[in-house]
Amino acid sequence: MRIKDGFVLRDVLGDNVIIAEGLEASVDFGRLLCLNETAAWLWEEAVRQSDFTISSLAKALCEEYNVSEEKAQTDVTAIVEKWNVKGMIKE
Amino acid sequence: MNLEYYKVAGHIFSVYYEDNNPSVNLTSFEPFRQSSSKSDLFRLTIYKRKYIPTDFVEVFSQVEESYVISCGTLSEGKRCFHLQANQIDLCWLIVSSDYREGTLYLYGYSRRWAFETSTMILYTLATSNMQTALFHASVVSKNGYAYLFLGKSGTGKSTHSQLWLNHLEGTELVNDDNPIVRIVDGEARVYGSPWSGKTPCYRNVNYPIGGIVSLSQAPYNHIKRMTPLSAYASLLSSIIGIRWDRNLADGLHETERTIVGLVPMWYMECLPNAEAALLCAKEIEVK
Repeated sequence: MRIKDGFVLRDVLGDNVIIAEGLEASVDFGRLLCLNETAAWLWEEAVRQSDFTISSLAKALCEEYNVSEEKAQTDVTAIVEKWNVKGMIKE
Repeated sequence: MNLEYYKVAGHIFSVYYEDNNPSVNLTSFEPFRQSSSKSDLFRLTIYKRKYIPTDFVEVFSQVEESYVISCGTLSEGKRCFHLQANQIDLCWLIVSSDYREGTLYLYGYSRRWAFETSTMILYTLATSNMQTALFHASVVSKNGYAYLFLGKSGTGKSTHSQLWLNHLEGTELVNDDNPIVRIVDGEARVYGSPWSGKTPCYRNVNYPIGGIVSLSQAPYNHIKRMTPLSAYASLLSSIIGIRWDRNLADGLHETERTIVGLVPMWYMECLPNAEAALLCAKEIEVK
């Protein structure tokens, strides 16, 4: 899966937010979505990987944050599901 | 005179008319006119004839009442805007990819709205990367500082400005619709503009910004400081910008972030009464 075009991660005085800037992106999105530090890191990793899966992100999270595979899998699944509900993911 | 120069918020641009008759009443632009300059940021050339590009691909359209602005591209990668009112063609604006040249084919009626909107579009495109942002706001000045009132159309921005004018001595109206904010030497300043359709207020003045208030209608008066995130979100809604070009989006974000860092921003729920203006001023006015 990929992150849809037009969604951009921006820093607002230390807070991480997703803004819908592309044309398709902005239609249903609302103004902005806050991400905590882990979610922001995952977002950047997802952009880096370009085409990613829950597993590929979980693996990267394990390596970066020194958490168990199981915890990583759970956390990533929850975060990506949230992005999906917001319409930011395309298969 | 075929070629006119204007300076708005410190940015100089020129307008060239194909023939000697502008055919557009430019009272609103008069205070911003200036003598010729070698360093214009962009030039808008106006032709008074019909021209419809055959390779226009629409990307986006914005509808407000009977006015439609359709945005898209032409085959050479140029940006193109088509303006209509009541389903009647007004004009086509074609912009070069570096946003330095615009060509306007202006032939319908409502030339004034078409001209104003076209110049506004080109101005935004050319300046978004220069710490400049075009706002949808009403602005007053008092004692050397300016205060911006933000809010969706119909919220009561103009009304609130009027209340300040009526009840707070020393208040003046800077612009009632589309002021320009620019970061200059580490300071956020607001400028009058030739775009102030609601109340004709075309003043070539500028002030340091004392505060920004986002308004909301309520059956009571209450004001509080906004967190940086809320402030940023308010700015996003109030700035007229084209964000699907990443460069422009980056530029606008920088300006928005800077404003949040420099200017106190407030959220006010209020009635359209004198008390609202007095409470607001008491809270936000720079001492």
